[in-house]
Amino acid sequence: MELTTTVTLDEARSVARVALHGALNTDTAPAFEQRLNDVLAQGLALTVLDMKELDYISSAGLRVIFKAAKHTKSEGKRLAAANRKPHIDKVFEILKALPDMAVFANDDELDEYLTAMQEKTRDGE
Amino acid sequence: MWGSITNRLILVISLTIGTIIAIDMAIDYRLSRDELLMRLQLESEETISGAVTDLETLLDSVESSTGFLATILAQREYSPEGLEQLLRDLVALNEDIFGSAIALSPGFADQSGGFAPYFFRRDGTIERANLAAQDENYQTKDWYLEPIAQGGPVWVEPYFDAGGAEVLMTTYSVPVYRSDTDGNRVLYAIVTADVALQELREYMKRLRLGEHGFGVLLSQQGTMLVTRDPANLMRSYKDAIRKPQVIAAFEAMIESTSSGRLAGDEIACAAIPGNCRARVGVLETTGWPIGIIYSQDEVLAPLREYQLRTALVSVSTLLIMALAVSLIARRLTAPLGMLAEASDQLAKGQLAAPLPPATGRDEVAKLVRSFSAMQRDLSQYITNLEEATASRSRLEGELAAAREIQMAMLPQGGSASEHQPGYTLWAWVRPAKTVGGDLYTFRAANNQLWLAVGDVSDKGVPAALFMARAISFIQQMGATAPDVALASLNDALTAGNDNCMFVTLFLGRLDLSSGELCFASGGHAAPIIGRGGIAQELEQTTGPALGLASDLTFPINTAQLTPGDRLVLYTDGIDESFDEHAEMFGEDRVIACIQEGLGLSAEAAGEQIFSTVDSFAGNAPQSDDITLMLVDFRGKHPGHQHQTTFTLNNDLNRNCTAWLEQRLEQAGVAPDVIMEMVLVQEELVTNVAKYSGLPASETVSIALEVGSAVLSLEISDAGKAFNPLTESERAELGADIDHARVGGLGVHLITQFTSSQRYSRENGRNVLRVTRNLPSA
Repeated sequence: MELTTTVTLDEARSVARVALHGALNTDTAPAFEQRLNDVLAQGLALTVLDMKELDYISSAGLRVIFKAAKHTKSEGKRLAAANRKPHIDKVFEILKALPDMAVFANDDELDEYLTAMQEKTRDGE
Repeated sequence: MWGSITNRLILVISLTIGTIIAIDMAIDYRLSRDELLMRLQLESEETISGAVTDLETLLDSVESSTGFLATILAQREYSPEGLEQLLRDLVALNEDIFGSAIALSPGFADQSGGFAPYFFRRDGTIERANLAAQDENYQTKDWYLEPIAQGGPVWVEPYFDAGGAEVLMTTYSVPVYRSDTDGNRVLYAIVTADVALQELREYMKRLRLGEHGFGVLLSQQGTMLVTRDPANLMRSYKDAIRKPQVIAAFEAMIESTSSGRLAGDEIACAAIPGNCRARVGVLETTGWPIGIIYSQDEVLAPLREYQLRTALVSVSTLLIMALAVSLIARRLTAPLGMLAEASDQLAKGQLAAPLPPATGRDEVAKLVRSFSAMQRDLSQYITNLEEATASRSRLEGELAAAREIQMAMLPQGGSASEHQPGYTLWAWVRPAKTVGGDLYTFRAANNQLWLAVGDVSDKGVPAALFMARAISFIQQMGATAPDVALASLNDALTAGNDNCMFVTLFLGRLDLSSGELCFASGGHAAPIIGRGGIAQELEQTTGPALGLASDLTFPINTAQLTPGDRLVLYTDGIDESFDEHAEMFGEDRVIACIQEGLGLSAEAAGEQIFSTVDSFAGNAPQSDDITLMLVDFRGKHPGHQHQTTFTLNNDLNRNCTAWLEQRLEQAGVAPDVIMEMVLVQEELVTNVAKYSGLPASETVSIALEVGSAVLSLEISDAGKAFNPLTESERAELGADIDHARVGGLGVHLITQFTSSQRYSRENGRNVLRVTRNLPSA
């Protein structure tokens, strides 16, 4: 299985949405890591991994997400996951991976979060 | 220091000897004292008898002289001059007579004042006095009146002769009677003789009475005539003594002397402290009591002095003896002290501690020599012990290594657990000692499962070596029928088996498709079959044990297994295990135990049988090697067994995943299980690619079997030995992002998504088998 990655940047809200489609495994992880690093290099406040179309993830894929989470945290940015399928969720559960990573069950939750964050930023201005 | 032998010797000996000397001295003192006092009594009796005799003699001579004069005067008439001459001669001739008088009765005197010439001694001459010329009439004097009153001679109470001799004296007065013309008896005169008390005192002084001893002479009235203190002279002894007890004692003594015997008593001394001894006699002539008084202390003083000297000598002797004992004891005990020090050092492990020199033949020298011998022997013994310990621990190390080697000869190291779609096999061998003679082996090939369980006679190293021989033969055997295989194995084992070791062996071949079990037994216990909740022995015809005689044949047995059957093979270490009361476990219990475990998995049932046997045995040690093999036969599902190999190139994971997904989908496995098994497979294969050290041209083998209840996946490679289950990185789960490690997650996924995982190194290959229980349809 292959992995298709679609990146949508919303610079106004400082949000990058990285949608994964297919399988994040040993074979696809290196390319994805490269792609994700490029996105993180943009320095946006929030990077959301949209797993709506992700069917499979192995420890190689988790490793990439792990590293990204460490990186964003050290930069003072955030990495979040959204729309995890149940069996993907199970893998995360088993590994108790990324307990402090924001997880959005669906797009509505994500939008709500983004709106809230934007308002906060505006208030700050 | 007071507890040392030397000091105790000195103390004990000194006390003993001191006590003996003290007792001796006490007895000696007592005896000597008694003897001295006895002698004193005799001496005092002699003294007083002598004094009495002397005084009696003196007084007798005075009496007789005076008496003689009186006799003459009674018969003859003398002129006054003649009378005076007689009187002068009497005094001159009798030295004991101080003075003498003739006092005429007034009727016979010519002069009106009477006639009483008196001659007495003064300064060596004899002087004359006229008693009639004195103021006081002599006819009123005691010495004149008393004899008249008595009508015979009388010793007058002593008195001071005032106007006469002016001395203390006593007078012997004798009346002289004549017959007048009418024949009447009339007093003519009184003749007297005086004895100066000084004279008597001189006598008494001659008595040897010691410094504080003295003589006492009393008058009949108790007036003291002679005594120690001149001031008491002429006083009543009762006035002088004043002590009522002493007075009473004297009264009693004087009383008892009236019969003429001597009397004696012990009284308080007058002038000095202590007791005095008094002896009292009586002068028969005058009736005067005479006594001598000795100081007892003075008599005993020499004895005391003697005792003191003896005591001094004894003390010196004791001191010298203590010194001698001390020297001897120190000489004797000095080596003991050194020995004690040496033994302390010995106890600390210093075996070469110096000993005192052992000279002479005494007990201490013997002890030193014995100690020395002990030291030498101990040193030797410790050396031997060290060697023995070293060799023993070497042997133990060797045995431990031997055990590992022996266990490595058995499939899966002596504790096998094999989950295959057609069967599950569980086996365990537990030697009674470090190494043992039990064996099992199994091999699946060509849809057949070969099983062997054996038990070599005896246990320990010999059995282990013979077992090694047997198992290498068994593992080399080809796929011949069990009976034929057993016969050739028997021949191989018999060759060169001079020790007559033998092995009982079950050898069976299970057809995994048909369930047919062919087996031959070389004297081994019959297998037990568990079917439908009942366990029972399979009937078998057995041959002899292997290794004792060649060219034997073994009968072949067959049995038909149906899916769900459990085949149990064991060695007699189970049924012949004993409890603390030497009761045997027995075959019935074995069968009951197996039946009880039929509902459990092979693994759980096997462990339960072991724990049942162990709790039966209690504290009794395991008597024999124990081997147990359980085979759960499930039958075959043809078409669900797959095997392939993939090269370790970049397409490895893609290829593996595609292959596995396709096979599992075909077998009708649920999609979520497929996804998880794909994940497991990816982790395993990735591990091989990462850690095997193999180049990309090498391959990894994948075998898959899908049964009705379980699927198993086996990944094997020829890379360097690596057990991912234990050796790979394993991240700690649940750590926060700052501390979590990025890698090490794969092994968690493997263990979570499979039911069992086992790694083994087989024939130079890493073999990792995982199984996944399938939900029942």
